[in-house]
Amino acid sequence: MPGSVGAPTIWAMKRSSGDGASDADVVQAVLAGDVERYAVLVRRYRDRYARYAAGLLGSIDAAEDAVQDAFIRAFDQLSQCRDPANFAGWFFLILRNRCFAERRRGGREASEEELKDATATGRWARAEAAAETDDLRRAVQRALLELTPEQREVFVMKHVEEASYEEIARRTGATVPSLKMRMHRAYDRLRGLLREHWK
Amino acid sequence: MSHELHPLVKLLLDGELRLSDLPPELKPEGERALRLLESIDHAPVALSPALDQRVMMAVRARATSRWRWLVQPRELRIHVRPWTLVPALAAAAALVFVVLRPAAPSTESVATVAAPESVTVRLVLHAPGAERVAVAGSFNQWNAAATPLLRSGTTEVWTATLTLPVGQHQYAFVVDGIRWMPDPSAPGVDDGFGRRNSVLAL
Repeated sequence: MPGSVGAPTIWAMKRSSGDGASDADVVQAVLAGDVERYAVLVRRYRDRYARYAAGLLGSIDAAEDAVQDAFIRAFDQLSQCRDPANFAGWFFLILRNRCFAERRRGGREASEEELKDATATGRWARAEAAAETDDLRRAVQRALLELTPEQREVFVMKHVEEASYEEIARRTGATVPSLKMRMHRAYDRLRGLLREHWK
Repeated sequence: MSHELHPLVKLLLDGELRLSDLPPELKPEGERALRLLESIDHAPVALSPALDQRVMMAVRARATSRWRWLVQPRELRIHVRPWTLVPALAAAAALVFVVLRPAAPSTESVATVAAPESVTVRLVLHAPGAERVAVAGSFNQWNAAATPLLRSGTTEVWTATLTLPVGQHQYAFVVDGIRWMPDPSAPGVDDGFGRRNSVLAL
């Protein structure tokens, strides 16, 4: 698939610049009582995982709630972060649990207005040059919401974040074969859900 | 009509095959599949700038509350079932008895733990007719005036409470400043001069 091979992976970046301190230094400072330093981690990772959360939950508003909750939960559990240098990976798992819990709770779906708004503003379902119509984009969005959380996750990470199966496996702890199986079932499911557009 | 994609089309979507790798009969299906995938947006999602502030407000509140519980007075409610009072009252009564019981008509020593490095000892001597009683020992350089015992009311019982380092101590009571006598309730050892000292092993 075009663009999916050799795509840059934000995930693999090790953060040690920008605000100067490494993630490990910031985590240690926060644990030592310098609570304000936590803002460094929030600024650093809030947008990195926004697309993942939006893709999994189907709307930017839901993604924002999830990212906010995940940051607060991460602060509450910061002393349990065994590898502060890998705060990003640890935080991702907290966010992932939050998103899955919401999906399993049957959390609110993106409304028609949100889908239209997202399409119009380019925040979520912005058209690519190859896309034909807004209807198609919204149909795909709606179909993605019909996938199981596990299928949706691998789809979003693979086709939205453009991560490789190996990277997805590293982030989620799943094996590459199981991820491929999930993805291929997701393809079949999407094929059925989008049969009207499969012409 | 089956909704399952051909396995080769799935490999195309996975990026493991190119469209040109597909057999001619699968190319239309491959093109449709790619067209749908390409409608997925790859642009970054921007969250509200206010998210940072909301997170930090929550974090500050949590950080404050973590310490507040240490300094703020709080209501403490203890629910006690009547039958659980029996052993507690028995233990309390035993403690009161040990601390406040009248001295027996003989000498005794009661020790309680004060700290890991020291032990508090209560020395008791029944000394009829005595005007004053003191204790001299290895812990006060055998000074007969340094550690007087106090009379318990109008009785003939004299007591002193000492906090002594852990270890072995030798001592003797000194009655009226002239009469040295060992503690009748404690083991004794020969002092090398024909008399006996009492021994406290703490």
